[in-house]
Amino acid sequence: MALLQISEPGQSTKPHEHKFAIGIDLGTTNSLVASVRSGRPDTLPDVNGEHILPSVVQYKADEIIVGIQAKQNQIEDSQNTISSIKRLMGRGLDELKSQFENLSDVLPYTFVQSDSAVPKIKTVAGDKTAVEISADILKTLKERGEQTLGDKLEGAVITVPAYFDDAQRQATKDAATLAGINVLRLLNEPTAAAVAYGLDSGAEGIVAVYDLGGGTFDISIMQLKKGVFEVLSTGGDSALGGDDFDHAIAEWILKEAAVKPADLSSGLLRLVLHEACKAKEALSDVEQVQMNIEFADNKHWSGTLNREVLNSLIDPLIKKTLLSCRRALRDADIDKDQVVDVVMVGGSTRALRVRENVAAFFDADLKVDIDPDKVVAIGAAIQANALVGNDSEGNLLLMDVLPLSLGIETMGGLSEKIISRNTPIPVSRAQEFTTYKDGQTAMALHVVQGERELVEDCRSLAKFELRGFPPHVAGAARIRVTFQVDADGLLSVSAREETSGVEASVEVKPSYGLQDAEIEAMLKASMEFAGEDKDARSLREQQVEADRVLEAIDSAMADDGEEMLSADERESIQQVRAELAIARHNATETQVLKEAMAKLEKVSANYVARRMNASVQKSMAGHQVEEFNK
Amino acid sequence: MSNPIFKQNYFEIFSVPVSTALNLSQLKEKNHELQQQVHPDRFASSAESEKREAMQVTSLVNEAYNTLKVPVSRLQYMLTLKGMDMNSETDTSMDGAFLMQQMELREEIADVQSQSDPLDVLDTMSRDLKNQAENLVLSFAEHYQQDELEKSREIVRKLQFINKAQKEVNDLTEQLEDELI
Repeated sequence: MALLQISEPGQSTKPHEHKFAIGIDLGTTNSLVASVRSGRPDTLPDVNGEHILPSVVQYKADEIIVGIQAKQNQIEDSQNTISSIKRLMGRGLDELKSQFENLSDVLPYTFVQSDSAVPKIKTVAGDKTAVEISADILKTLKERGEQTLGDKLEGAVITVPAYFDDAQRQATKDAATLAGINVLRLLNEPTAAAVAYGLDSGAEGIVAVYDLGGGTFDISIMQLKKGVFEVLSTGGDSALGGDDFDHAIAEWILKEAAVKPADLSSGLLRLVLHEACKAKEALSDVEQVQMNIEFADNKHWSGTLNREVLNSLIDPLIKKTLLSCRRALRDADIDKDQVVDVVMVGGSTRALRVRENVAAFFDADLKVDIDPDKVVAIGAAIQANALVGNDSEGNLLLMDVLPLSLGIETMGGLSEKIISRNTPIPVSRAQEFTTYKDGQTAMALHVVQGERELVEDCRSLAKFELRGFPPHVAGAARIRVTFQVDADGLLSVSAREETSGVEASVEVKPSYGLQDAEIEAMLKASMEFAGEDKDARSLREQQVEADRVLEAIDSAMADDGEEMLSADERESIQQVRAELAIARHNATETQVLKEAMAKLEKVSANYVARRMNASVQKSMAGHQVEEFNK
Repeated sequence: MSNPIFKQNYFEIFSVPVSTALNLSQLKEKNHELQQQVHPDRFASSAESEKREAMQVTSLVNEAYNTLKVPVSRLQYMLTLKGMDMNSETDTSMDGAFLMQQMELREEIADVQSQSDPLDVLDTMSRDLKNQAENLVLSFAEHYQQDELEKSREIVRKLQFINKAQKEVNDLTEQLEDELI
């Protein structure tokens, strides 16, 4: 059908010059996808007009449900319906257990210990890692992007909390790989928000971005100047968010009702959390709310939660966020009064108490005019658009920093800092090591991330095993190890023995991440089971192709159908065109659509040839044949 | 690593003369200008090899900027340009009076929490240290100009002491402020 799309010589058709890219906000509670269309960035709705996709995945034996419907099924199918999975990204079960007093309260699922360091959740569809569950959310968003834009995606920018460490970032990237997404960049959420806000308002100067989401808190101090967004410092808590407000309220309810959490089913716990969340949201508008909860055994509880009690429950959590703000300001070497704007991001910044406290702390007006739920996705879309080359002015530049120091374990379990926090990325540092035994040809480096002195107080990232350098007398080898952090904040390590120039091979053993082989196995498995997904996708691709064919034939017929075709010819083409139009909307199989297109191609073959001919003649008109022989 | 930038020294990368006195806002502006050209985001759709080079070049620019931005690392770098390595020095003797002064300062820091207004005391200390640092940079410039590298190096070592003390003062200030909240 390509021949129908011939254009005037000297003019090129430019239907594909605009490349499509999306921005994805993969949130703890909600996720969104956005893109820039006709120069305007906006979030993309699903077929029902919903922009927000709850980050909830329900696994059934033969089906995966993502979003609103899964959220609705959460209480009745709590074991197979997973929410807040972002909290598990790049984390080990032992870590989570030590972090949350009642893990089953936060993540009421059945965990399975696997051979891998990565925890798995037991569902009826098999044991799932956080990476796989996140990939299912990402797939839904990607499909929404493809369907709305009607084209193949060049890639996506996916946002992560600025305070995510290497393992959490890597897990996010792995999830994207599994979802078949080409990751253009991992972008820090506050930076994304600043882009959306800054480009919209044309603001310049020092800006603080306060981002309190469902499960994470980020603060970034940034300098905005003529399209350059320079992060001066960043801080936060990758395990603190609005969910914790809910838990604090839920604990209060259980205390008031004299119910022990251990006595509750996971479904009932969900219900209490649900009620807590509802009460929290309601208290932004009213002074107090009446709550009623049916516990088992006819035990009924009702009580009143007012703002005062709510504030006493969440104040300690808000105070923690303000401590992070202070540290970020100090790291940036910025005084509070230099901050011109405070951009509020994340659903939890809707809480009045949060706004009061943040405004008082910075003594500044808060920017809340962009929907705090959408602002991150919109910023990601703007950067995605720029990265694929659609940004005509081309001066958008995001300069980010490493959120947490990287160090290596030295004698005595101490962490020696190699790259300190808030260093601009990408960054590369080299360090020289030597051997301590004669003939030693390998060594292992344990890389940790965090600010504390002791290795055990930092996060273990990975063990790097360096092999294959030539044997030397102890202390004579000079092994230069280069730590490279890329623009996504991801670390890679390379090593070279300097006296011989031999590159060492590096094997990475992530502490809480998936090994490359595990990802590959998952990818393979998802391809085997994704037969249906793939069919839906190729049908969609053919539909887009059919649209193109229909448009091409219509515009050609409008152009010269009258003069080039007889009435009979016109009619037979129109008839086959109509068949294709019907198939375009009704066909459920790719093959049917393909056949309809082939038929139209066949019946219009002569017409195409004539048009081609006419077009060639037209371009040669007025020229001597000799000119073409030259 | 064919990019000619890898053959330049940090001052050359930023097109500024080798000097202790740098205009920081100019340096920052130049940094933005360089980043606009070399940042990996400019090569998002390029071949892998170009992406890698962009990452390496930007890492170098970042390193250069960070080194020049902070006085003590800038001075240290100026010494390495003259072939002086801070780490391989054998003579570590220091001006006795200076060391004495440092020890006294450490004692004062350790003692600060018993003062009636520790934050005020820490603020004063911080200001003093800042002044001392500024004076050291000025005197480094003189010696460096005269090619008195040993003397220059001693000044850098003093500056390192001052910076360490400054960090302790800052950390303690932070800690006390946290307790107050």
